Amino acid sequence: MVDEPILSVRGLTKIWGRGCDACLDQTGPAHNRNTCPACGAIVACADVALDLYPGEVLGIVGESGSGKSSVLQCLYMDLAPNSGEAFLSTFHSGRKSIWEATMRERRELRAILMGMVYQNPRDGLNLMVTAGGNIGERLLAADWRHVGQIRARAADYLHRTEVPIERMDHLPAYFSGGMQQRVQIAKALANSPSLVLLDELTTGLDISVQAGVLDLVRDIQHREGLSVIVVSHDLSVIRLLADRTMVMKMGRVVESGLTDQVLEDPQHAYTQLLVSSAA
Amino acid sequence: MVSVATLSATHGEAISGYSYGFLDAISRREIRRALLKAVAIPGYQVPFGSRELPIARGWGTGGLQITLSLIGPGDILKVIDQGDDASVNAQNLRRLAEKTSGIETTTETARATIIQTRHRVPEERLRSDQVLVLQCPIPEPLRRVEPSTSVARRMHAEGDYSRMWLAIYEDIVRRGELGGAAGYPVLVNGRYIMAPTPIPRWDIPRLDMAECLFLIGAGREKRVYAVPPYTSVVPLEFEDYRFEVESFPGQRCARCGSGDSFLDEVNLADGSRLFTCSDTAFCDAMQQNEEVVRW
Repeated sequence: MVDEPILSVRGLTKIWGRGCDACLDQTGPAHNRNTCPACGAIVACADVALDLYPGEVLGIVGESGSGKSSVLQCLYMDLAPNSGEAFLSTFHSGRKSIWEATMRERRELRAILMGMVYQNPRDGLNLMVTAGGNIGERLLAADWRHVGQIRARAADYLHRTEVPIERMDHLPAYFSGGMQQRVQIAKALANSPSLVLLDELTTGLDISVQAGVLDLVRDIQHREGLSVIVVSHDLSVIRLLADRTMVMKMGRVVESGLTDQVLEDPQHAYTQLLVSSAA
Repeated sequence: MVSVATLSATHGEAISGYSYGFLDAISRREIRRALLKAVAIPGYQVPFGSRELPIARGWGTGGLQITLSLIGPGDILKVIDQGDDASVNAQNLRRLAEKTSGIETTTETARATIIQTRHRVPEERLRSDQVLVLQCPIPEPLRRVEPSTSVARRMHAEGDYSRMWLAIYEDIVRRGELGGAAGYPVLVNGRYIMAPTPIPRWDIPRLDMAECLFLIGAGREKRVYAVPPYTSVVPLEFEDYRFEVESFPGQRCARCGSGDSFLDEVNLADGSRLFTCSDTAFCDAMQQNEEVVRW
């Protein structure tokens, strides 16, 4: 691809605890631990670098505790990283790291420039606000001040995510899990964010609903050319959605490349294990 | 405005045992300082140390502390309660100010230099030499969307108002129109969302680009805020759902016959109802055929 990356991350490190000089040397896949033996701090992720190009889907795969969700939570600023820089091309033309954003800029980043779909719809939705209102919240944050237009956009995205339009003015608290997840997807995508983050979006849904949600995300992504980072421990999700894939273990990136390449011809021992256990 | 030091020197104690205007000099000074800050940052809620007064909190102590900290020789005070000069509460507040400072009081809007009011803006247009002091029960307009005061203050600081807009959107979805009768939220000077106190919608347009100074006091909640003269005050509205003031189609005041003032509905013993002006001073003036400058 000849384009400039839409997102460029360098040196992302998140450590829980005070940390010491030995933390980074004494943890990682080589030591098979992410707890620093010297100080007891937990290295959630260390020195993660990635580039995401416009219209591309990047998968991050790994087992629980591999640090993949920490990467995503840092990007969406739910967590503050200890060090690192992340440049989003639509934020200050990619010249200011999103982790140096002011509180006001952070809100703009979260509400307008990025869209996040959490594993649990409760984290991404206000269940006591109507489905249309949930979608409208992001549009209102982007200074939409026309109820008719807000409702038209909400209806459009609820339609695309296959939520019946007549449920638009109902509270998601009374929706099924799968439908809540579809509303959350509609909410994250409705204002066409520059970067979409999907965190284990099908975990917790039953198999038939999972397939529907994945089809839906793939369809919208293709049609709108969204730039997406999808985190999952489920290789089939990654295989279906991701153009490129990063494999993480103990807070480090151990392998990355085209998804087919990584999954068909894994080089790192851990990836081989992951692929063979999934088969 | 006369300084506190001059007041104490020239007037001493109006009645034995009490400071001029009931509040002690240091309290007056602190409240005035808070008011200066409030005027400097239109719509911003300034915390202040609300004093104990001989009336209960929730009965106008915020407005009363502003009034008592402002009054000085030469001021003429008017106090109204829902537009009415004669209500028990208005009378009590007026008498307290009168007794402890000896200043003149009036019911005529045009004569007053300071008007303390509960939930109304007078029908007569206020001038640049007049101050309207509004009593306020809940100064925080974000309370309905955010119960925590500290979070609400951070939302104000960052101009984070999307949840407030969301609440208005949800009202429209539920009711088909903008919600809220009294105290409709407004954006002041393009910056802070402000609770205009429970004045009817009728009075909201009067806050915008007015010649007079509006000072708002919440004694129980320990906040003062202000709308300085010539400041924009815009009700929160959508492009396709506009803010509208109350209307009284076909109704006129039963006393003065006015058809363009805010009317109170009165239910009579025989089950019928009639309407009268909520602003009694305006109603009196209309009955006397006096000239009244309108907003």
